[in-house]
Amino acid sequence: MKHSLTVTLKNQSVAVERFLRVVRHRGFDLTHLQINLDDGHYQVEMTVDSDKPVYLLTTQLAKLVDVKQVMLQSVQQQQAM
Amino acid sequence: MTGAELTIDLLAKHGVNEVFGYPGGAIMPIYDALYGAPVKHYLTRHEQGAGFAAVGFARSTGKLGVCFATSGPGATNLITALADAMMDSVPLLAITGQVPTAAIGSDAFQEIDVLGMSLSCTKHSYMVERAEDLAEILQEAMHLAQSGRPGPVLVDIPKDIQLAQVPFHPWLAADDYLPQLDLNQVAIANQLLSEAKRPVAYVGGGVQSAGAQNELMQFLEKTQMPAVSTLKALGSVLPDYEYDLGMLGMHGGQAANLAVQECDVLVCIGARFDDRVTGNLSKFAAKAKVIHLDIDVAEVGKRKPAKASLIADLKTSLPQLECFVTQQAWLAHTKEMMVKHTWRYDYPGEKVFAPYLLNQLSQRMPKTGVVCCDVGQHQMWVAQHMKFSHPSNHLSSGGAGTMGFGLPAAIGAQVARPDDFVITVSGDGSIMMNIQELATIRRNNLPVKILILDNQRLGMVRQWQELFFDGRYSETNLSDNPDFVQLAAVFGIPGQTITHANQVDDAITALVNSTGPYIVHACIDDKENVWPLVPPGAANDEMMTESAK
Repeated sequence: MKHSLTVTLKNQSVAVERFLRVVRHRGFDLTHLQINLDDGHYQVEMTVDSDKPVYLLTTQLAKLVDVKQVMLQSVQQQQAM
Repeated sequence: MTGAELTIDLLAKHGVNEVFGYPGGAIMPIYDALYGAPVKHYLTRHEQGAGFAAVGFARSTGKLGVCFATSGPGATNLITALADAMMDSVPLLAITGQVPTAAIGSDAFQEIDVLGMSLSCTKHSYMVERAEDLAEILQEAMHLAQSGRPGPVLVDIPKDIQLAQVPFHPWLAADDYLPQLDLNQVAIANQLLSEAKRPVAYVGGGVQSAGAQNELMQFLEKTQMPAVSTLKALGSVLPDYEYDLGMLGMHGGQAANLAVQECDVLVCIGARFDDRVTGNLSKFAAKAKVIHLDIDVAEVGKRKPAKASLIADLKTSLPQLECFVTQQAWLAHTKEMMVKHTWRYDYPGEKVFAPYLLNQLSQRMPKTGVVCCDVGQHQMWVAQHMKFSHPSNHLSSGGAGTMGFGLPAAIGAQVARPDDFVITVSGDGSIMMNIQELATIRRNNLPVKILILDNQRLGMVRQWQELFFDGRYSETNLSDNPDFVQLAAVFGIPGQTITHANQVDDAITALVNSTGPYIVHACIDDKENVWPLVPPGAANDEMMTESAK
């Protein structure tokens, strides 16, 4: 199942790297990623794909010190292959 | 004030009086600032030893543990201790030297991307990029390590910033975001408890992290609810609690595992349904509705769904559970299981029986003593056969399962609690992983006791090879280990070797009565296994026992 999320990160040099590591490690494939530095924060828009419930990712991301906000935008059922 | 002086000054202001570490080129300014400073530094003989000593210090006190290392290999040697602290939620601050800012990214001598390496094994980590940020980063790092769910925090400080003149700005922690209890969830939890016929409390390491042992015992005493503990929680439930079933899980007691499998409400208190606890997850407590209490919302539903979740500090959430009295029929059944599956120490052979030795040691050592384990069979025997009155008296590498933990952790615990009896119980495999720290014991005249249970094997792996790999004993024979008593003697540590059951009592007497460090090298049967055992893929009520092997 695909999920679109918007995440706000502190403008720290390692914040994006730390955040992306968690996405991979918790078993979510990244299918879209866009990062903008806006008003002193990184605004991350991304789509992830996994069979796992998305709260397993959002709760882990929300724990990161660099993460200011995690918003789940939408849920898409994967097209049958 | 230089960055190095500020670092030591801030540690002292924060109440850090002891640190563990190993100097090197990129951290020399900090070691120079240590010279004559009020913060006492304990030189270990390997950075991993420093990391685990800091972990032992933290776990035996609940205070912040601090370790230092230089750049490159110094920092990489700390990584295992950071991972261990991460898995077991230990408040740890690691300060590493880094090559000068201008050299970063040039593959300079002893340059490693320590910040990059730290990402998966720390709660948070920093590399200080500007001298003016140092004070704030250090203060924030100490706060983060100890707040919420504790964990390790690393601060990597380039050498030029250690040498630079830096400003000091007091940093005030923002109000911690502490989750507020959801009263609807509290109501659901209390409804579940009021309907429970066979409740069990499943107690985890979060109780110690929260300092909530009193709240836990008040809850248990009032409800009389049977309680099981994880490895890390041992000591949270007081040993004289009538319905303490001990450890659950892969090598848990049969009564503990059976009670959980039969329960209809499982109150998970600061635990995380670790795979070594649950066995086959789909069959774990399958009849139970789960009430999950934790400060970390990410643990709720991670492995097993909860009917009610109380996300808060346990000191806040535990008193919210209404105190009914557990039904007598369930208590009687629990008691029957405890009696039926009690441990036996009447080993018929002439050899040293490790469970008996450990049970005797537990009875004869001071109740305030600290036992630091390594990892393997001896670790499980300690968990099964020794009693603890507080989780800070039982230091065992739980989540990471790190061999080599025990000896340096005992050093940290002895430094933290100089008047308490501290012993490391190790195996002949684990002890060799940080054996160099005998030099740290000698250097500081620490009265750390050492008990090695020697089966001349990598015992737990050998056990699995016997049971699940057709007896193909690949690389688990350690019969060429050195004579451990002679080895200890080289470091000025006296001791004795025992080989027969009738030597156990005298050896324990020598160990307990020794005023300095002392080693007992106990030779045990190389075929002795840890029982019971939940085999891979099985449910916790499908335990293998010695008789059924």
